Amino acid sequence: MILPLEREDLKVIGYNLRNICYLVAALLFLPIAVAVVCGEFDTVPYFLIGSAIGIILGCILSFSLYTKREMELKHAIVMAALAWLIAPLLASIPIWLANATASYIDASFESISGFTGTGLTLAVDIDHLPHSINFLRHFLQFAGDGIGIIVISLSILGRTEMGSVLAFKGEAKEIGIRPSIVRTSRIIIGIAVTFLVIGTVLFTAAGIREGLDFGTSVFDGLNHSMTAYATGGFSTHSQSLLYYQSIWFEVVAMVLMIMGALNFNLHYAVLGGKRREILKNIEVRLLLFGLVTSGLLISTNLLFANMYPTTEALFRKGVFHAVSAQTTTGFQTVYPFHFMLMWPVFSMVLLSIAMIIGGCANSTSGGIKMVRIGVLLKSLGREIKRALLPRSAVMTGTFHNIDDIPLTDKIVRSAALMAMSYLILFSVGAVITAAYGYSLEDSMFETASALGNVGLSCGITSPSMPAGLKVMYMFLMWAGRLEIIAVLVLFGFVIFGLRKGVRR
Amino acid sequence: MKKIALFFLVFLFLLTPGIAEAESGRELIENSASFNDKQVTLQGEVIGVMIRGDSALVNLFDNGVAIGVWCRAEDARKISVIGDYRHVGDTVLVIGTFHMACPEHGGDLDIHADNFTVTAIGRELDRSTSLSLLTLSVTFVASAIFVVFFLRRIRKEKEKIVPWPFQ
Amino acid sequence: MGLRKFSLRAFLKKNFDFITGILSEAGLTVLIMGIAIAICLLLVFIKSVI
Repeated sequence: MILPLEREDLKVIGYNLRNICYLVAALLFLPIAVAVVCGEFDTVPYFLIGSAIGIILGCILSFSLYTKREMELKHAIVMAALAWLIAPLLASIPIWLANATASYIDASFESISGFTGTGLTLAVDIDHLPHSINFLRHFLQFAGDGIGIIVISLSILGRTEMGSVLAFKGEAKEIGIRPSIVRTSRIIIGIAVTFLVIGTVLFTAAGIREGLDFGTSVFDGLNHSMTAYATGGFSTHSQSLLYYQSIWFEVVAMVLMIMGALNFNLHYAVLGGKRREILKNIEVRLLLFGLVTSGLLISTNLLFANMYPTTEALFRKGVFHAVSAQTTTGFQTVYPFHFMLMWPVFSMVLLSIAMIIGGCANSTSGGIKMVRIGVLLKSLGREIKRALLPRSAVMTGTFHNIDDIPLTDKIVRSAALMAMSYLILFSVGAVITAAYGYSLEDSMFETASALGNVGLSCGITSPSMPAGLKVMYMFLMWAGRLEIIAVLVLFGFVIFGLRKGVRR
Repeated sequence: MKKIALFFLVFLFLLTPGIAEAESGRELIENSASFNDKQVTLQGEVIGVMIRGDSALVNLFDNGVAIGVWCRAEDARKISVIGDYRHVGDTVLVIGTFHMACPEHGGDLDIHADNFTVTAIGRELDRSTSLSLLTLSVTFVASAIFVVFFLRRIRKEKEKIVPWPFQ
Repeated sequence: MGLRKFSLRAFLKKNFDFITGILSEAGLTVLIMGIAIAICLLLVFIKSVI
């Protein structure tokens, strides 16, 4: 029986949101350092205002909603869902003040796209943005999607009570690296920082090799490293990675995108000595299969459509975009209009499917996730076997994801529910987009990109797009990042509260 | 005599290869197929220069779109200001061959410049801090500090055991 | 107190798992890109033959 809502329920949620406000306020200080280094002192007030608003809001929540009641699962999930709305809205303040977007709704879109690691952009004139604002866009992706804002707050706060555990789960992360949630959070940050450093060094080296000056190489290298590992896809230039016209940039990006798409648990296991996990893991095998298959089919289609006739062009266009879609990153070396007007429909559909499937669970990727696809495929195989075997036969099954996990009905049901919710939301989004006058394949492409937190665009996402679509895509990005369930729980929470009223 | 000159001019005109004049970078992107492998003219602001051996990649920004132009390194060295937040870059006029998917450069969209001219030198932009915005930011920061200490004091007075905001 | 002499061997031994782990993951990406390049080469070859 669902208990009626009490005032204390709202207080628990509101009170625990204070840390997210403080965290965002603190994160907004980093771009100030970039502004000072780059001599952009006129941009410092933008971040001070955003930060101050975060602190004021956090204090108000802390004071007016103080409660000693412990968080339950429902509170944690609703809190996580709201945290992923409040944080982007706070971070959008400097973006809006800097006139980086045409309106506040566009700034919110940009901020949500950053935090959720999507990468669809409504920024106006990225090539002339202040370095500090550009850094903020990339840093939001690293902090929000590469690590996770609740993970960061838990690692700093150092709390291990049940509420922290539940909040961690609410952010669509599975527990499992270490028994302590704080330790797990710090390990996730450690892995992210490791790849950030490696990526920055590699991108910087590529930049210097391709003729950029040292300062630009480091700045671009750091930013692209953040968004490549976070599988976010924001770039410091409007042309994305096409700005560099460099195979080296694209290769480094692909390495980081694949690293970002791997399970955190896998990284921990492999970096801790269990190197065999790389080939035994079901998700790695499926990711490998997905990348090779989508790369092969897309490249074949592009070649026989006479779009890219050379090996290098096929690798840099076909394979690169297959990797970008499958890992849900969103780096592009093709203008959005060209996806819409020139790429064959078959390739667009393949990219859409890759975006829907996504990367590994417990990674920076979006989509339905490889582990769920693996569970559903194994379950399908088991059902086929069951039909062919005698009725008295006992069917068991396991899959290897760090450990050997029994394929129980509960796991299969959970995977199926999530996949079904995802596909329903995708269908609704695609139909609504098509209702605005876009072709079906373009609508599917853009919706898959928003819901899967990918960022590849065929041109629908632009400052001139209808406001209704902007709001819908913001919802899809938010829902996709939280793997939909948290959003549905929030709606259930509100609906039941409204129906039965809030008790004192 | 006039008729002969006119005939000669028409004959010359018929002999010259098709030159498509692009209005803007946006037109080149949106109608790439029709401009493919044709000579185009593009004028834009320099937003990036990468010298690679004897050639250079210069990114030109025009009408909300940026396009990569391959030119000779010595031409690229004529550029003095690159456009960014604090600068308007040099304006460059390029006449060259447009490639929708350049076979020489891995399928990238680019222009191979035959003629590269800096038509206007860039300049630094005045990005001084707005006094009103500075005042607003100071006000907000002061308010935040006030709220933190004020609420803490109220809490202490009411003898509530409430955690310090930054705990 | 004098500074301890940095020993590359000791550093590598201490961080052996971490370093070999990074190399394993790098190997995975090299494998993926190697397969991709091979596919592209094969496709272009097949088209040239057809």
